[in-house]
Amino acid sequence: MFAYIVRRVLATIPVMAIVALFVFSLLYIAPGDPAAVIAGDQATPDDVERIRQSLGLDRPFLVRFGEWVFRIVRGDLGVSIFTNLPVSTMIAQRVQPTLSLMVLTLILAVSIAVPMGVVAAWRQGTLVDRAVMGFAVLGFSVPVFVVGYVLAYIFALELDWLPVQGYTSLDQGFFPWLENLILPSIALGGVYIALIARITRATMLEVLQQDYIRTARAKGAGQGSILFLHALKNAAVPIVTVIGIGVALLIGGAVVTESVFAIPGLGRLTVDAILRRDYPVIQGVILLFSFVYVLVNLLIDILYTLIDPRIRY
Amino acid sequence: MERRSLIRGAGAAAMAGALPAAPAIAQGAAARTLRVVPQANLTSLDPIWTTAVVTRNHGFMVYDQLCAQDAQGEIKPQMAEGWTTENDGRDTTFTLRTGLKFHDGEPVRAADCVASMRRWAARDTFGQVLWQRVDAVEALDDRRFRVRLKQRFPLLLLALGQTQFPCFIMPERIAATDPFQQTREAIGSGPFRFVRDEWNPGQRAVWARNEAYVPRQEPVDGLAGGRVPRIERVEWTIITDPATAANAMTTGEQDYWELPLHDLLPLLRRSRDLVVQQRLLEGTYAICRFNHLHPPFDNVAVRRAIAMAVDQRDYMRAVAGNEKDGWETCEGVFTCGTALANESGSEVLKVRNVERAKAALREAGYANQRVVLIAPGDYPQINAISMVTADLLQRLGMNLELVSTDWGTLVQRRASREPVERGGWSMIHTTSSGQALTLPVFHLFLRANGPNAWFGWPTDAEIEKLRAAWLDADDAAEARLVGEALNRRAMEVLPYIPLGFYWQPSVWRRNVTGVFRAPATVFWNMGKA
Repeated sequence: MFAYIVRRVLATIPVMAIVALFVFSLLYIAPGDPAAVIAGDQATPDDVERIRQSLGLDRPFLVRFGEWVFRIVRGDLGVSIFTNLPVSTMIAQRVQPTLSLMVLTLILAVSIAVPMGVVAAWRQGTLVDRAVMGFAVLGFSVPVFVVGYVLAYIFALELDWLPVQGYTSLDQGFFPWLENLILPSIALGGVYIALIARITRATMLEVLQQDYIRTARAKGAGQGSILFLHALKNAAVPIVTVIGIGVALLIGGAVVTESVFAIPGLGRLTVDAILRRDYPVIQGVILLFSFVYVLVNLLIDILYTLIDPRIRY
Repeated sequence: MERRSLIRGAGAAAMAGALPAAPAIAQGAAARTLRVVPQANLTSLDPIWTTAVVTRNHGFMVYDQLCAQDAQGEIKPQMAEGWTTENDGRDTTFTLRTGLKFHDGEPVRAADCVASMRRWAARDTFGQVLWQRVDAVEALDDRRFRVRLKQRFPLLLLALGQTQFPCFIMPERIAATDPFQQTREAIGSGPFRFVRDEWNPGQRAVWARNEAYVPRQEPVDGLAGGRVPRIERVEWTIITDPATAANAMTTGEQDYWELPLHDLLPLLRRSRDLVVQQRLLEGTYAICRFNHLHPPFDNVAVRRAIAMAVDQRDYMRAVAGNEKDGWETCEGVFTCGTALANESGSEVLKVRNVERAKAALREAGYANQRVVLIAPGDYPQINAISMVTADLLQRLGMNLELVSTDWGTLVQRRASREPVERGGWSMIHTTSSGQALTLPVFHLFLRANGPNAWFGWPTDAEIEKLRAAWLDADDAAEARLVGEALNRRAMEVLPYIPLGFYWQPSVWRRNVTGVFRAPATVFWNMGKA
């Protein structure tokens, strides 16, 4: 197992290298020029060129890529073209809101979706099942920003229960922190709940047909024990897999959710950087997201062995 | 009534008074803080390095100016106690007010002003024009410095006091930074000091009252007069989504929204807690720019044919709707209502007839060349006016290729001088503050010096000659005559088409006090009741 983890961790290095090359190349060939954005309308072409030179954007691809890689391996993500702040500082400023949003959404989604899927499978074909599946279709179909606006309208504008926007750091108290994250987490969680609920239901339906479930029933096991101890445990591998895959959904959804609720997270940092062509920030954030995604997949693989002891690497 | 706080309330109840003082503290802090939704994210702190308006607005808080524009556009002393002119108007000696200090505690010295002027003049168009006429700028002592000109230049004070790209005064050690490099500190002598520790670009920027600031005694008047920092803190929260910003204003989570989207104004006006009013003194002008280097717009007759079809009202409705007093037409190249505004030769913009324009296009010899119009989808106002032109070109039967992209791509692509077959462009649109179009010296779209002109690169010796003549005009009457000739010539050769202007109101909570009209968004004199 340990050897497997080491192998997987080492395997992330070429993956990250390919991501790095891809991101850098893509930004190099993509249209846009931060020097033109900085210089503004008054600038002459000479001014723009001088700014480009001062930013080092006039140098050849290989030189820039080489320098960037050299910095990256030393843990230096560079400095933002616009703010003059280290990219690592900017990322550090934004990690907590995004992480908070994602963790809360994850907790919310798993705690709602798994029981929903289990109940839907247990009551297959009934109104409960249809309601759960109807919710799942809705969760998939309605865009995150629509859910966000509707929630903000009802719970912030009409009922006046929760704030419309913003983020309060955890250092300023748990309740203020939670207050700002409830609506965004629900908005972001919709699609995630739908995904997990559907997979849970499908897997549970399959598991509930198995002989050992019939045996458990014959032995007089209670319904709760059958569903959550016998069936769910055996259905857990695909559910955990889809939770892992869903992290990518969360990362994508966080960009929209952070914009709708004005949460200063990594998603908004990425969008702002892309719009301004702040290359070092874009590169740093995408590298971080890729690393997180690779790491989550590794954790999921390790979780398999805990959930199902038959799995060995 | 204050917003009920569900979770905080539940939490407080659960903790049974463990946090009794928290709401009072929060309310007190809110009362001492002006919470603002700015027009854009503050990404750069150096108002000389970038021309971003949001950075300029930050500059007005942190830095001070030697002189500044009042609400009538007149230049009044600000940091300067006054100035004297000698040697037939060629030598001007400025004297600084006493007690001026930078935020790091150092006194403001004449040497700081000289260094700041040098850095500013290297980047600003007006500054560059001024510097060509400067023989020397020298500090006479700590409070006085002299500008010695090679020739008389009546626009000296206007150059130093202009709002478009202000000459902000920084400490000499900071002003020594290469003008093409960003300064690393935001230290000025203005009414607010920047709280760098709380700066999180994309989320928040904070300024605290400069307790050592010595304002002028005159009442505030535009950007002139006493810049009294009445509020303890000004806090900008970046809210990129206009609907969210509108909601935040309605619920009282924010106090002031600089540039609300026009579509949301009716909604905001319905709230009894909000004031929706025009604060900026000038409107925002829309502009259609041709690429003069390639067909079909290298042909003046084609440009004139397009102008004949333009109806400014269509453009303005697309941006600001039918709102009363939301927009106006302005069929000249100078900002309406200012000294040089005139409509000499503007008849071409009063035709407003597509059929006549079609005939003119045929006569012009338009040979169905491809017209590439680039529209920025992420810039609602400019996108809207681009769409009106796209529709117009289609109605004129032109071979249109509409390229919808983002602003970042547009600003790069507009720099391409290649023909459309090789990634070039034919038409773009932009907007400009009225301030920037008041005088030929900084009117970007009136430059017609070919490769050095603004994107589109028109060439017209007559326009350039008239611009130079305006700079040397002896009095207002002569300047006005040159202005009329400039408008006439511009309407003849059409370096661009003016598309009218819209007013951009701001929104604030009713408890915000001391709001005044100015050429830029500034926050001194403002408080909360």
